[in-house]
Amino acid sequence: MKTTITNTLRKLSRRNEPYIFLVLMLLCVLIEIRSGQFFSSNNLVDIASALVVPGLFAIGAFMVIISGGIDVSFPALASLSVYATTKFLLDMNYQGGVWLAILIALALGAILGAFNGLFIGYFRLPALIVTLGSSSVFKGVMQGALNSKQLTIIPIGMKDFGTSSLFIARNPVSGLTSRMPVAIIAFLVVLFLVYFMMRYTMFGRGIYGIGGSETSAHRAGFGVRNTKFIMYVMVGMIASLAGVMRVCMMQQAHPTNMLGMEMNIIAGVVLGGTAITGGRGTLLGCMLGTLLIVIVENSLILIGVPTSWKSVFTGLLIIIGTGVSAYQVSHMNRVRSAKTPAKEVVA
Amino acid sequence: MKKLMILMVIVLMVVPMVFAAGQAEKKTGYEIVVVPKDASNPWFVRMKVGVDEYAKATGLNVYQKGTAQIDATLQAQLIQDLIAQGVDALCVVPVDLESLEPVLAQAKKAGIVVITHEGSALENVDYDIEAFSNAGYGAFIMDNLAEAMNYEGVYTTMVASLTNGSHNEWADAGVAHQKEAYPKMQLLAAEKRIESFDNGDVAYNGAKELFKKYPNLKGIMGTSSYDAPGVARAIEELGLIGKAFTSGTGMPLDNAALLESGVVKSLTLWDPALAGKAMIALAVQVLDGKKIEGVVDLGVDGYTNMKFKPGSKTVLEGEGWIVINAKNVYDFGF
Repeated sequence: MKTTITNTLRKLSRRNEPYIFLVLMLLCVLIEIRSGQFFSSNNLVDIASALVVPGLFAIGAFMVIISGGIDVSFPALASLSVYATTKFLLDMNYQGGVWLAILIALALGAILGAFNGLFIGYFRLPALIVTLGSSSVFKGVMQGALNSKQLTIIPIGMKDFGTSSLFIARNPVSGLTSRMPVAIIAFLVVLFLVYFMMRYTMFGRGIYGIGGSETSAHRAGFGVRNTKFIMYVMVGMIASLAGVMRVCMMQQAHPTNMLGMEMNIIAGVVLGGTAITGGRGTLLGCMLGTLLIVIVENSLILIGVPTSWKSVFTGLLIIIGTGVSAYQVSHMNRVRSAKTPAKEVVA
Repeated sequence: MKKLMILMVIVLMVVPMVFAAGQAEKKTGYEIVVVPKDASNPWFVRMKVGVDEYAKATGLNVYQKGTAQIDATLQAQLIQDLIAQGVDALCVVPVDLESLEPVLAQAKKAGIVVITHEGSALENVDYDIEAFSNAGYGAFIMDNLAEAMNYEGVYTTMVASLTNGSHNEWADAGVAHQKEAYPKMQLLAAEKRIESFDNGDVAYNGAKELFKKYPNLKGIMGTSSYDAPGVARAIEELGLIGKAFTSGTGMPLDNAALLESGVVKSLTLWDPALAGKAMIALAVQVLDGKKIEGVVDLGVDGYTNMKFKPGSKTVLEGEGWIVINAKNVYDFGF
């Protein structure tokens, strides 16, 4: 019995998640001490609601990084598909529910994702170059062909969806209320589906395999091209869904204010222990890392960091956090290579 | 042979005329480019309307060209491209003052007339146009916020970024005006100014944090056109309607719902279309070699009685502010 506990502890200490979790808890306690507001019900709901969009983006970025690629185009992809969707629905004066917006955005996301997938999967071009390019293309289409500007009126179905809540948290002391948006369900559903897929399906294991070693995965019988292509299509759909959630929750479609999110999202994924070289990492770690970034971004005023030091603080936290997980990963590799010469794929 | 001679004479006479005509046309056909902070903000979409109207009315080669997203580096690159193109005048609404200064110096060195708007602290410009004195407008926003707050309580200020020129001058002036005119109001000492990065979502999340951390906070003075609407969303969601207030710059039609529901009582504004026209009109006067001194009339509404800011040789100030409330929100046509 005792040996199993020490074994589990030893196993845990080699993984990245406990460290991230520890950092996260420390941060939460710091915020609580500084403001006395962190663990209040309405603040926790605020954090959950702020997690929806970055969380969805992070799931997509996680899949790509596991496969050994990198995607910097997802904010532009999401902006383009949701902007086109909103504009189309406004033009046809659509009065129905949000489902049509989601369906159209998913279809557009699949097409745009296929664009990435085609070049990366079938033409074997480097993912960074392709997505940098496609990000420009998507922005360009939005600015040029769609002549984008901020849409302050969105279709009624999207508007209602954005303001509807699962429940409303009320802080008994301050009397402040916060809505838990229905959009969080979309996030949880995607999270569950991707978790299941990455862990228990041949396709998901294929993504890990490709990230570990493309040649080995190919020899082992995985269709590398098809797996990559389908994965980028899925990532495009997830990003577009995030775009729809963002627009509904903000009650307006702004064509550019999602751009620039990619850096913090990728930082969050790496922070969560996903190896930037691919093949290794867990969705749980990825979510913890993203949560850390979201909490930092939304708590600096609560901590009382002066406005002029805000970006320094965020940057330092990202460096320290990624540093810890990078050290952890390299340490793990050293231990492992000392034990067994062959590289193994770990979930 | 005779025919050929006549033909040659005609050609020799006509060709210089054609070139001369070309030259004459070039002399009046100034190429003037307006560079806004970005191309998608409705504020600058509205400015483009004014610029296009001006181009149509005068026939000058005047157009607006903005970057896809709001970014100081991209704006500097765009201006460098335009300098290389050899335009006659640049009318710029700067994103970040300090990083733009060397680029504007390049433009002036290349003999290009530089007019800016919302950049009164810039040095490398011919003239900077302000729709009004920054002190006057800051005080005007404060008047509106004070009225909503019933002239008492704790407030703070929000700007796009701490390096933004005009926003910070408005906020400073608003605070100064409050100290003078509204003794029962108080600036939040722990958090005097926060940034929204011209992003409604950042303003919304920032306001939520402020109201959580400082329960006695009663008002937020917004400056960017995203501030007050973003803060209003937070006030609505936190259940603070009637308890917390905001006022600041905002576009009428975009905020019609907020004004009509009473979450925001009044917003302040000037018309970006007119500001765009005024910049071009001034650029044309400078290019024509007209002396800019005393009281300047640019022939644009609200800019007919422009005066130099006291102590400055470059900053011209008009009288262009307006208040928007539930009653007049639909009167402006934008």
